[in-house]
Amino acid sequence: MRPRSPVVGYLLLAPSLIGVTAFLLLPVLLAFVVSLFRWDLIGTREFVGLANYADLLSGGALLNSLVVTVLFTVIAVPVTLALGLVLATQLVRAVPGSSLVRVIVVIPWVCAPLALGVVWKWIFQPSTGALNALLGVRVEWLTSPMLALPAVAFVAIWQQVGYVSLFFQAGLARIPESIYEAARIDGASPLQQLRFMTIPLLRPTTFFLGVTQVVASFQVFDMVYALTGGGPEHRTEVIASLIYNQAFDSFAVGKASAVAVVLFLLLVVITVAQQRYFGRRITYDLS
Amino acid sequence: MHARRALSLAATYAVLLIAVLLTLAPFALSVITALKTPRQFVQDGPLALPSPLTLENFTSLFTTSEGGFVTPLVVTLQMVAVILVGQMVFSVLAAYAFALLRFPGRDLLFWVYVATLMVPQVVVVVPLYLMMSEAGMRNTFWALVLPFVLGSPYAIFLLRENFRGMSTELMDAMRLDGAGTLRLLWNLVIPLNRPIIVTLVLITVVTHWNSFMWPLIITSGPTWQTVTVATSALQSQYASNWTLVMSATTLAMLPLIALFVIFQRQITRSIGASTLR
Repeated sequence: MRPRSPVVGYLLLAPSLIGVTAFLLLPVLLAFVVSLFRWDLIGTREFVGLANYADLLSGGALLNSLVVTVLFTVIAVPVTLALGLVLATQLVRAVPGSSLVRVIVVIPWVCAPLALGVVWKWIFQPSTGALNALLGVRVEWLTSPMLALPAVAFVAIWQQVGYVSLFFQAGLARIPESIYEAARIDGASPLQQLRFMTIPLLRPTTFFLGVTQVVASFQVFDMVYALTGGGPEHRTEVIASLIYNQAFDSFAVGKASAVAVVLFLLLVVITVAQQRYFGRRITYDLS
Repeated sequence: MHARRALSLAATYAVLLIAVLLTLAPFALSVITALKTPRQFVQDGPLALPSPLTLENFTSLFTTSEGGFVTPLVVTLQMVAVILVGQMVFSVLAAYAFALLRFPGRDLLFWVYVATLMVPQVVVVVPLYLMMSEAGMRNTFWALVLPFVLGSPYAIFLLRENFRGMSTELMDAMRLDGAGTLRLLWNLVIPLNRPIIVTLVLITVVTHWNSFMWPLIITSGPTWQTVTVATSALQSQYASNWTLVMSATTLAMLPLIALFVIFQRQITRSIGASTLR
């Protein structure tokens, strides 16, 4: 290929480069800067160094939202992956009707988390909601400090299982059937096949899903906003909710930016650590 | 042997049936509620089937002051259309440059683009809000679309991967015939990469129809509300009028469910393929 003038390349890149610089790189930089100010939407702008971080730590809000987010992740991600795998193992058997099921279970994933959150908020209502009517009980699902976070995590799991199972189905389809035949001849039980063959061979898929699901669950906002808004008693105030509440309820933009910076650094560490730790192990020798 | 096979088949169907019921129940319940009168909802409880069947919740979404869903629908459609066109055009241009042209700094710039994939929206919304306010663009249409319309690093990344896999022979032949960059793109690169482009179009539509946090922050009042923001506002304003609220959520979800059912093959296939990398 004859190399052409570099101007064409820069010209083609120009719009996206402006976009990336102005709406991704600059805001990240700005988040660091603003986090060092006492910056209220009402008008105050005063350099305070690391005082926002200190305030957040001593007030317990940041620590609380970190704990809430980690708890949410620890409940939601493993359960989503496990159920997604179970569903996938049944869907790849390709029994009559399974292609329809394959489509149905992904439907929640294409719906707006906000709208799903509102639907589930109604379902969870103590006296007018469907769940209590169905169970014949009167439980305060979303307003009890103990139940709120598991309830939110349940909705997140419900939304993601079908989507996650798509990846597992693709992973399962890549495992050659001959391996299973050999195992059956050697007398391996279905459970042994799952434990010693399927799960290890799916490691690349599981790794990919684990990373993307953990990163996504550290950013969850819409669903929490619709279901609880972060309450009761901040028990479901995930990091993104804390950022929103600080900035647009308390108008403390500086503090909100400090939380955003912490979240950003955390996500960078998670991504890099997972790549480092699992990166070497994701290939599994098939031969 | 036959008995065991029948048993495992039964187990499979049991799992699939439970999955379908659990998936569809919330949708069915919300549609049933949306088709009830508020009076029946209160009298007969949340599980009763609608009788009489009514569309009054949906009509009041569009006609009365309670709903006002016409504007949000129009705003959302416009927003998705503008973002979609901008993002596809500028992402294709950038991906073409990264994949098929040579110029100084190309790989460094591409690395920067990839690095921005790690930047979550939650982190940038507050500074973006400050920037938009400073520019006097709060609660405008441009504030809704500007951060996304100039291309997406994710789309550029995926397109570049696909463009690199193309054979260069046809392209060289067209260049010898004097075809310019744009003709090359339009007549060759885009047709050859139609599957990934269709996938990206669908992903972009889903992402931005459903987006909530940024529209919530940057708009105020009904003028530029999107469907998601209007649904949320309706829910907090008419907290106990669940029949009305469920008609709003149905409206917010139905277009995408329809889109997904039509294009499900494209979407599910591309999702599976993306793990291969």
